[in-house]
Amino acid sequence: MAARDFFIEVGAIFFRWLKKTFRRPAFVFFAMVQPVIWFLLFTQSFASIADIRQPTGVPGQFITFKDLTGTDSYLTFFSAAVIIQTVIASAMQAGIGMVTDIESGYMDKMRVAPIHRASILLGKVMSDGVRVLLQTIIIVVLGVILGVTFATGVGGVLIILLIAVSFGVAWSGISTFIALATRNSEATLMISLLTTFPLLFLSTAVMPKAFLPKFVQSVATYNPITYIADAIHVLIISGFDWTAVGYCFLVILGVGAISLSATTAMFRKAVAH
Amino acid sequence: MDNIVEVKDLTRLFDPDIRAVDGITFHVERGEVFGFLGPNGAGKSTTIKILTTLLQKTAGKVTVDGIDLEEDPAAIRKIIGYASQEVSVDDDLTGRENLRLQCMFHHLHKTDSERRINEILTVTGLEEAADRRAGTYSGGMRKRLDLATAIITRPKLLFLDEPTTGLDPQNRVAMWEYIQNLNKEGATIFLTTQYMEEADRLADRLCIVDRGKIVAEGTPATLKAEIGADVVELALKENGESTVRERARGILARLPGVQETKDYDGGIMVFAKNGPSLVPEIVRSLDAANVHIAQLALSSPTLDDVFVKHTGRKLRVEEVKPMSRMPFGGRRRRRM
Repeated sequence: MAARDFFIEVGAIFFRWLKKTFRRPAFVFFAMVQPVIWFLLFTQSFASIADIRQPTGVPGQFITFKDLTGTDSYLTFFSAAVIIQTVIASAMQAGIGMVTDIESGYMDKMRVAPIHRASILLGKVMSDGVRVLLQTIIIVVLGVILGVTFATGVGGVLIILLIAVSFGVAWSGISTFIALATRNSEATLMISLLTTFPLLFLSTAVMPKAFLPKFVQSVATYNPITYIADAIHVLIISGFDWTAVGYCFLVILGVGAISLSATTAMFRKAVAH
Repeated sequence: MDNIVEVKDLTRLFDPDIRAVDGITFHVERGEVFGFLGPNGAGKSTTIKILTTLLQKTAGKVTVDGIDLEEDPAAIRKIIGYASQEVSVDDDLTGRENLRLQCMFHHLHKTDSERRINEILTVTGLEEAADRRAGTYSGGMRKRLDLATAIITRPKLLFLDEPTTGLDPQNRVAMWEYIQNLNKEGATIFLTTQYMEEADRLADRLCIVDRGKIVAEGTPATLKAEIGADVVELALKENGESTVRERARGILARLPGVQETKDYDGGIMVFAKNGPSLVPEIVRSLDAANVHIAQLALSSPTLDDVFVKHTGRKLRVEEVKPMSRMPFGGRRRRRM
């Protein structure tokens, strides 16, 4: 039974990665502590961003943070950035695991086994998705404890989780691609770090668009992170804005289609035969 | 004649122009232990990686158990086991989990798997460590676990790439016995080694390989018999001077019973029928010619002598592990 075999293989590889992930004290530490640091550091230092007023041009009239975002709490606004930052960081780890397997020879062990080549990739990607899901849940819980209110309730949170997981899987394709192309964990890590922060800060994740400098605004328009951030923002702050959510999933679909097909092609080349 | 592996004109090139495997032809008979003996860089691992479907060949034809490598590599994977030169176990998983994963890869039933896992843990002496992470194992234990993952599926054909490299002498002997037992139970074994004692002791038949080519083939006994003589190894005090060497070889060749003399990087090798009675002759005649002997040793022929005879070099075993030049499975890095 080919289908049953395939499920067993994917399952075996999926659980292998979950075990590996959660047996690393370093990972568990980062998954828990990093969001806390982000929340506390940024929301404390930058709380006054919520007090920014910008002149509209009409004397005496100002646009406030609340006008633009619908909330006067920077903490609430910023929780989207924490989610996105965590998802990207987590996705960027995906490739490292692949390189480690190649370096250690474990990849060869799997390649010699009578399993479908696709199982190796699929089991890995699924475990990456689950890892992102758990990390996002942690952030949501943390946010609630710190006082973030989710305007859309449980339904909205579920959509946010879905966004996080699908975006995480799409983004993990990028790091896996880099990993398979360079076959070098240091390079993968460096490229990941170098791309994460500019992308985050050149988007609307940490600052409403109108408050960004003009050139950053135009960069943000073409930055996929902006659309993810916008959707999460509205789901947390105002309500079910299906246009924003729709754009978000379109962007994820686009990123995913490119990154995962590139990864698959690269993976095929790597495991050729 | 039933050959489980047939290889014809196998060639593998690496960029830019390295002929790692250079048109070799050989076969492995069902049920035997077949050895590839050669130094580092001879093309042993490359050959094994091609036969195990890990590496594409550049040219040639390979069939494994009647299956064409090019047509159906997936079918070959079902019947083979492979333990690479560098140990590849998952350090984050326990020994038992490593084995269980391998059983799942081969789609074995759960009850059957568990029975085999317990059995193999006993045989490899890993019972007590079974539920500890492989990362905490000693080098010898990891090597045994790696071998266990290769054989738990009871492959018809087992590829062992340098199974004892890096093991201490005690573990090496244990590994030899273990491999012999596997063979007795019916597995055909293809092993590579750079140790002549290992090839001599384990292999029913072997190929001596050097620089991508097969230089000799046969049973250890016939290969050694091919030399047909005792071997006297000489090192001269004036070893570096080729004129002295030449003169010495000339003198030696004229002695009665000497069949052949051969230069190798460490000295001169004399192949002769009547070794023991020849030694005083050698000493006397060289002394008379004012050539000074630094060292002299007499021995029955070994596979090392066979190697020297065909290549003019000794099978040197470096204790430092070489970097692997394979695209996959390169030198193992321990993680933090």
